[in-house]
Amino acid sequence: MPSAPFMLESFPRAILHLDGDAFFASVEQAVHPELKGRPVVTGKERGIIACASLEAKALGIRRGVPLFAARRRHPELVVLPSDYETYSLYSRRMFAIMRRYTPSVEEYSIDEGFADLSGLRRVFHASYQAIARRMQADIQKELDITAAVGLSLSKSLAKLASKFRKPAGLTAVRGRHIHLFLQHIPLEKVWGFGHNTVHLLTRYGLKTAYDFAERPAIWAQRLLGKIGGELWRELRGEAVYPICPEEKSAPASISKCKTFTAPSANREFIAAMLIRNLESAFIKLRRHRLRARAIAVILRERDFSETGLEAALSRATAATHEAVPLAKALFARVFQDGKEYRATTIILGKLEPDELAQPDLFEDRLRIDKLAQVSQAVDAVNERFGKHTLSLGSCLFLERHRQTERDERPVRKAALLPGETRRRRLAIPRLFIKV
Amino acid sequence: MPKTLKLQPKAALLRRFCRLEGRIPSYTEMLTLFGYRSKNAVHGLLGRLQQAGYIRKHKGKLALTARLSGAVKLLGAVPAGFPSPAEEELVDTINLEEFLVRRPEATYLLTVSGDSMVEAGIYPGDIILVEKGTTPKPHDIVVAQVDDEWTIKYFEQDAQGVRLAPANAKYKAIRPKRSLTIGGVVRAVIRKY
Repeated sequence: MPSAPFMLESFPRAILHLDGDAFFASVEQAVHPELKGRPVVTGKERGIIACASLEAKALGIRRGVPLFAARRRHPELVVLPSDYETYSLYSRRMFAIMRRYTPSVEEYSIDEGFADLSGLRRVFHASYQAIARRMQADIQKELDITAAVGLSLSKSLAKLASKFRKPAGLTAVRGRHIHLFLQHIPLEKVWGFGHNTVHLLTRYGLKTAYDFAERPAIWAQRLLGKIGGELWRELRGEAVYPICPEEKSAPASISKCKTFTAPSANREFIAAMLIRNLESAFIKLRRHRLRARAIAVILRERDFSETGLEAALSRATAATHEAVPLAKALFARVFQDGKEYRATTIILGKLEPDELAQPDLFEDRLRIDKLAQVSQAVDAVNERFGKHTLSLGSCLFLERHRQTERDERPVRKAALLPGETRRRRLAIPRLFIKV
Repeated sequence: MPKTLKLQPKAALLRRFCRLEGRIPSYTEMLTLFGYRSKNAVHGLLGRLQQAGYIRKHKGKLALTARLSGAVKLLGAVPAGFPSPAEEELVDTINLEEFLVRRPEATYLLTVSGDSMVEAGIYPGDIILVEKGTTPKPHDIVVAQVDDEWTIKYFEQDAQGVRLAPANAKYKAIRPKRSLTIGGVVRAVIRKY
């Protein structure tokens, strides 16, 4: 296909995207080296595969597949409960290694991040590719996990490049090669194109990201609006989206979802699960010093169909007790007798910082302050004696739940070191090797 | 019998308040915080806390010491006057983690189960700090996978290649036949009593 380059420079900017390969499963293989080379999946506690190792992916096992289905086909599968504590420790180390090279690192998610390497060639006496390779090698050597790296001129291009050679690959796309690279990228791979956008673009006869980028800017802008114009410029090598080295700011919503092993039709039990989620969500809310103004309750039925309702609280609050009546009322509207449910979700929305509290003229200030104190006291007790030691009475119905293999805890939490408690452990990953 | 005053729980309450609110509580707030009914009691407690080095008075106002805030105090942060030699010395201290861990991103914990290194003072149940990604030098203690078997041994090199020597008369030194993977170099042993 004859095509002209979008630019003649190689790296006017150097943006790197680093993506840990099968992150959760790779971390498990790093702390349990005897699992290397074997198909490992995590997500035992959810009943659904959260992450499949490269070996498991080779068997055709993907994320989101129910465990029983995967196990039936592949009995040799090693299924582990998720150990988010260890994953987070590894994630933190991965970003620390990236920060050795540049302070401009954006933690995009637990297993992927962006870094701006522009101008660092002189500092390291090395090309951008060499710096990226060194970063990759450090991660491999010190963390014993692999990462795929993409290097290009904008975040969108870097992300496409890192996906290009997985696992453990390094793909550098220079400015003058962008047009060649984009011809290999189908539209749906582009960051920001959902399947609706892709459908729309295919109607105009586009197939690859190149087809999109070689259209006039004004066309992209008219068809897809502001975002379309931005993506068009990103794909042509202009760094529109900046790297944000700050920690992710406060969340926009907090959601807690728990699946129970055997689907249940027991009203009290399901309500208890929901209230427990509500408690957990509020603990997180208070830790972030936020208040919520809206609550949504979602119940998932046996056949995975979901029903839910959302309602606004009369005032933003951080006290669990203030939200319980509303959550229970929503539950009563959503729950249908005789139906079997498998999961409950609570979503706290319309969050605002706790400091901005402006009292209402007609509210019962005394009661509100008391409830806030109750929540503080509950947090204080639970901090000392373990999460949910002190909890709402509705949660007593949780005891009816029978123990199954899903309740199995990761080794890190099951075998504590002397001095560690259920709530507090050393912030260093533990290897589980028998020596 | 006079009631004894335990300072530590009170200091913990104060620490918690300062961490949550980002400031030192007022006397009135300390009444509820410590569960006192009289500000005189608060004053007495503050005197004791000051003696014990949890807090200090600065220009008539209360201030936290490093003992309470847990932060390392830097010389530059002293607002007025000459720092005392004692404070100056504290700047050069490191905590136990910095003392034990040389490369924080590459260090891992491992609980020992075997007895192959007892003569080197590594017993079953001990926790060792393993540093990954470092090339071992002779006489280093390493965690290594020799022909698919994980072990902890002295790393030695001679004319015939790598030799992994135990520190236990019961065992013999081994030489890798097919493969050798160094899992890491042992940097410290932790044993709690």
